[in-house]
Amino acid sequence: MSSTTAQSGLARARRGLAPGGPGGGSRTHNGGLNRKSKLSGQTKRTFFWLLLPSIVLLVLINGYPLIYAGVQATHDGSLIDTGNFVGVDNFATVLSSPAFWKAAQFTLWFTIVGVFGSWLVGLGLALLLRTKIPAGGTFKVLLLLPWVVPIVVSSTAWNWLVATPDSLIPSIFRNLGLGTPLFLADPHLAAVMVMVFKVWVSFPFMMMMISAALASVDTTVYEAASMDGASKWQQFTQITLPMIARSTYISWILMTIFCVNDFPTIYLLTGGGPVDATTSLVVLAYRSVFQDFQTGPGVAIAFLMTLTLVVVSVFLYRQIRKSSVE
Amino acid sequence: MSAVLHAHPESGPALGVAGPQKTRRTLSEAGLRGRWWRFVLILAITAIVLVPIMVTVILALTPGPNSTATGLTLENITGVFSKTLAGTWLTNSLITTLSTVVVSVAVAAPAGYVLSRGRSKAVSGYSLLLFVMQSLPIITSVVPLFILFAGMGLVDNLLGLIIIYVGSTMTVATWMMAAYFDSIPVSLEEASWIDGCSVFGSFTKVVLRNSLPGILSTAIFAFLLAWNDYLVAIVFLRSNEIFTLPVGVQSFFQQNLTDWSGVMALAVVMMLPPIIVFATLNKYFSVGGIGGSLAGR
Amino acid sequence: MNVQSEAKRNFSRRGFLGLTAAAAAVPLLAACGGGSSSSSAGGAIKFWDMPWATTAYNDAAKKITDGFSGANSKASYQIIQWNNFYQTFSSAIASKTGPAVSTGGGFQAFQFEQQGQIAYADKVVDALKKNGQFDDFLPGVLEPFKSDKGYVAVPWQLDMRPLWYRKSLFDQAGVAVPTDWPSLLEAGKKLKGIGAVGFATGSGAGNNIGNHLMIMMMINNGGGVFTKDGQLDVMNDRNVEATEFLLELVSNGIIDPAAVSYTSDNLDAQWKNKKAAFGMYVLGVPQRVGDTSGDLMVASPMAGPHGDKATLVFPNNIMMYKNTPSQDASEAFLTYYMGQLKTLWQQKLMNALPVFKSITELPEFASDPNNVKIVKEYQPIAKTFAAQGTSLNANLAVLDGGQALNQFTQTILTGKTDAKSALTAFQSGLQSVLKK
Repeated sequence: MSSTTAQSGLARARRGLAPGGPGGGSRTHNGGLNRKSKLSGQTKRTFFWLLLPSIVLLVLINGYPLIYAGVQATHDGSLIDTGNFVGVDNFATVLSSPAFWKAAQFTLWFTIVGVFGSWLVGLGLALLLRTKIPAGGTFKVLLLLPWVVPIVVSSTAWNWLVATPDSLIPSIFRNLGLGTPLFLADPHLAAVMVMVFKVWVSFPFMMMMISAALASVDTTVYEAASMDGASKWQQFTQITLPMIARSTYISWILMTIFCVNDFPTIYLLTGGGPVDATTSLVVLAYRSVFQDFQTGPGVAIAFLMTLTLVVVSVFLYRQIRKSSVE
Repeated sequence: MSAVLHAHPESGPALGVAGPQKTRRTLSEAGLRGRWWRFVLILAITAIVLVPIMVTVILALTPGPNSTATGLTLENITGVFSKTLAGTWLTNSLITTLSTVVVSVAVAAPAGYVLSRGRSKAVSGYSLLLFVMQSLPIITSVVPLFILFAGMGLVDNLLGLIIIYVGSTMTVATWMMAAYFDSIPVSLEEASWIDGCSVFGSFTKVVLRNSLPGILSTAIFAFLLAWNDYLVAIVFLRSNEIFTLPVGVQSFFQQNLTDWSGVMALAVVMMLPPIIVFATLNKYFSVGGIGGSLAGR
Repeated sequence: MNVQSEAKRNFSRRGFLGLTAAAAAVPLLAACGGGSSSSSAGGAIKFWDMPWATTAYNDAAKKITDGFSGANSKASYQIIQWNNFYQTFSSAIASKTGPAVSTGGGFQAFQFEQQGQIAYADKVVDALKKNGQFDDFLPGVLEPFKSDKGYVAVPWQLDMRPLWYRKSLFDQAGVAVPTDWPSLLEAGKKLKGIGAVGFATGSGAGNNIGNHLMIMMMINNGGGVFTKDGQLDVMNDRNVEATEFLLELVSNGIIDPAAVSYTSDNLDAQWKNKKAAFGMYVLGVPQRVGDTSGDLMVASPMAGPHGDKATLVFPNNIMMYKNTPSQDASEAFLTYYMGQLKTLWQQKLMNALPVFKSITELPEFASDPNNVKIVKEYQPIAKTFAAQGTSLNANLAVLDGGQALNQFTQTILTGKTDAKSALTAFQSGLQSVLKK
């Protein structure tokens, strides 16, 4: 807690509560966090002060560029010059371009595989690592490495493993009599490759989220369930999964954002190719803005993408509310 | 996959002890066998997963084209420290990242608490807003942020970078903290209110104190985001002596030419601090934050 | 630690409110600030340079920059990384913290000229006329930079695309080095027989050699993407013919089927590991891949089916910006810098052709027979992306790095197309992004 902002915010929060004194505390207790009744004024004020630093940052770092991007998306200018107002022309251009829809489709698959692939791998490993294993802690640290290595480096390492017919993995395939697959040159294989790479980069995050959630699950619950004759699968679906449900939904949402917004993973491994086979919406937006110098349409793509993300997230978000109200 | 899933309950220590129809002796043998089985399994998985990283490490230790050394050598790594400002970059990266982590958690923890406990429309609206605002990809934010920060002298300056990193980690960090706080039963706070604690008091004294795994996960997320970013840093930082490590790595990429042994050596340097962090904090992840107090849930 | 304490001070609430207020004001400023020539504080001329070669190059360039003192001014040197450089320049220019003079992307000067940010270099050209350097330019190097309004930039090095071959592989296959397209096809088939690649290229992440090859082959056949007066001319017969030939090379496996995914690093490995026998690449391939045994050599230019000979060149240039502490000082600096260029070649730091005849005659440069061959045989027939025209312009930046050409290249390299439909897609892709 070395941040002055946070401290002053917290100090104010403390002061905000002070007039009520201990009485305020008990009032809070009666009404404050009770889900069914309205929040008391005191609690509301405390909540406000607790939120304030994040609100300020949100407006400054996230809100301002959003507005700026809104201006760019409705103008025909460059990065330097705003240009003339063109209304929704850029959006119309983008929506009528086949490249946009192709990229949208790829983004969808990339996200689905990225989210659930990394979740399944992360969940499996988190469950495995939760058991007693010799040197378990070491494995836990080692398995976080894919997330730690800078993408510039890991994409190069992956390239060396698969790019040319003489690379390690194509050689293994050849020696097994499976032909020599061109992992990055074949459009379908390249798409698969990018997704596998994404899962490889992302599963440690999932593993960590799930491990943290599992850590708060009390093991005696299993003991009781086992006494009641619950099978292991039942214990998994009826104890473990519900316990980590909210955490899972949140990690899905976060991973959806990470996948949809992911730029370096794709761009550094395939550059979006071959022939757009791995061009996601972000890559398309990037190339439109910085390579085709079409600032307006490029930013419009980013906007449409954000809009879709919001719709998807509202859906997942509802799931979270449900799961936490239970 | 299913093998992995099944492996778990079989071995859960609590379950092992509770198995009613097995004798103590067979149990411990089965437990031991299962343990080694799982060891082999995780060893195999880890080995496969780490192949690309081993490639990196081996290249970092392989002598460069102009070297006389044979076998594996540390000269690439010592080389980047003696021939470039890698030491300074490392310090810059540490300053930037640690500041980001501390501020980000300090901002996200209280906000996450409100998101977790507040049930008003405003709170859930804000929670959604957090999401919406940060869904815009960072590549479209860099230029406006640069123009904004240039006016305040925050360009080519680690402070500017820290502010952006805090802003971009804060949204996700808030959600992560909220998710963790959700797993802490409200009954704990209720008990503290009865003892006369304020909402804020119970947040710091009861909730935060029991949230170490959540805080650590969030901190690690912020740490890695700040540690690995180059998309923002490369536009914001100009001077060699202000570079963070990822920008330093970029300086090995020349026109049509890349010094791979330098890149890989610096990559290994970049990997070490997160590994040290993970290894040091590892035991806290597995410690159940609130242990027995869950019984009342 | 200074940074940290500063950070703490600035994280005060007032600081944040200040930031918020500034945030609100900036879009207005940015919207009406474009193109102004307001001078920035501090008298030194900011010179921004790219990592054109090893760090030793940048050290030498910094030394030259530090040595400047003229027009009552000094100059400061700043390296800009290639990664996201357009973003770096744009955001700096938009916030009035950009350079006064810079190198950069090949067509960057024309893009920023279009946006009203470039100061024309006519006075510099006049100064070069006076000091004799003007007459020292290799033929045809300076003209492409002349626009209706003046010289947009001044060229300082030529990034040439010569053909290279590995002699031992040709010996092994028992075939002569190609001199024209039919002999390339024949040699390619024989080279394939010994497991070598007859026409090495790559179009993977971040590698634009494949893009350059497509245009080079069009130019080599007397074609090109634009007409003489700069109109789009993708579908001309010569381009169609060149594209058909490239597809023939692909279908015969003379162009590696995995080339579409090769990064420049993969391509280097092909040359180094004696897989690549022949292909278009950059200058200094032997040094680049670490094989200076003399086995890697520059081939003579090939003739197209109609007897045309040409290759591709990117004239890299130095530009001046309107936002400068003093235009006189910018001009004095650029003139000075042009005069110092030879030291970079004297120290063998450059991996590109010089623009001055006198530098090509320096012993340090002329001692490399490959260099001499490129100057003698390729430089006179080199054309730019503007071919069949000659004047450079902002559209070429869109062609160079843009999606249309990259898609075309990758479509050809995967071979699943015919020439006409690939060119049609290329043309419509370009039409949608080019400024009229």
